[in-house]
Amino acid sequence: MERNEILKQVNEVFNDVMDNDSIVLNDLTSANDVEEWDSLAHIHLVVAIERHFKIRFGSKEIQSWENVGEMLDCIVGKVK
Amino acid sequence: MQSQLENIVERISSRNILHGKKLRNNLKKFDEDYFSRAEIFLNKYQSLLLSEDKTIEYAIDCYLQFLADVNFESIQFLRTGEYSSKSFEEVNRRVYSDPEVMEYYLHALLLRQFLLPQNYNILLFFNKTLHQNNERIHSYLEVGGGHGLFVSEAKSIIGKKAKFDLVDISQSAINIAKKMITDENISFILSDVTAYKPTLKYDFITMGEVLEHVENPVNLLQHLHSILNNDGKLFLTTITNAPAIDHIFLFRNADEIREVISSAGFAIEDELCIYSEDMPVERAEKYQISMMYAGVLIKKN
Repeated sequence: MERNEILKQVNEVFNDVMDNDSIVLNDLTSANDVEEWDSLAHIHLVVAIERHFKIRFGSKEIQSWENVGEMLDCIVGKVK
Repeated sequence: MQSQLENIVERISSRNILHGKKLRNNLKKFDEDYFSRAEIFLNKYQSLLLSEDKTIEYAIDCYLQFLADVNFESIQFLRTGEYSSKSFEEVNRRVYSDPEVMEYYLHALLLRQFLLPQNYNILLFFNKTLHQNNERIHSYLEVGGGHGLFVSEAKSIIGKKAKFDLVDISQSAINIAKKMITDENISFILSDVTAYKPTLKYDFITMGEVLEHVENPVNLLQHLHSILNNDGKLFLTTITNAPAIDHIFLFRNADEIREVISSAGFAIEDELCIYSEDMPVERAEKYQISMMYAGVLIKKN
């Protein structure tokens, strides 16, 4: 799957979890840019992305992302 | 001037940005009374830390370790739909019998007490219940009163006319409760509550956030039923969908809690249900958001 397609699908998951259709992600988007992105939302986001792409993240991966780009790098490495 | 609570939130935020956002949003929901209560509680807590040669930074370390545990358990819960611990023996080995884990766990629970808005609403509900029943209370029992907040509130409302007992399974929790409760006229009893057989029955029993820690909540409530006077009341709090390293019994919604209450021979006189997040009920249910439940229970006829 192309990285752009993954970003598009991750954006849809974000919009659903945050209940906000106006969120538009790019590689540099971080929690500072999305008001609803807090510790609880992050956990729901992780599990929703896992379900959507049928992948599993490790504990260290979940804590290491500084922005959406790093999250995407991790997903790209897992999606066949 | 910045309050102690705001100061603690800022320190946590500097070390965990995502959780800091959540706590800062929580602070916006608190009123003057809340900050005033938090200040009194945190002053007591600071004295406790001082008596153990510890600082608030130590407490924040404990809280962040606790948070990492909860986040890990939450992800497992959302993946599997189950709590990771299934038996008391397992939790006892993992938490209660490990002094190192108990140490950070209890400090984290103390610090957390005034970081969650739902805890305050439950405390106000408890306060209202005690005022409504004050005249009839001559004996008071608290089950698992680690932070000492409920029993201190009860003591200030009921006063000296009642006998106060506190029973807890953990010596570490009792040690902390003794330091957090300045009033000396309280008997502390180290015991598994189901093995506790008092000679007199109680007019009022408080059991906060214990039910989710046992394998069979009906059995525990039936025991409390047996040590409560016929016209006595039980103030119960518990929680749904709240994974933690020592939670065993999973309540998925308020109806499952009500079913357990009824099976143990209690009727609900009054209750309060508060989701931990401000969101429509449908979304809260979809995302299995935890809900604090508080009930005032009486014996069924």
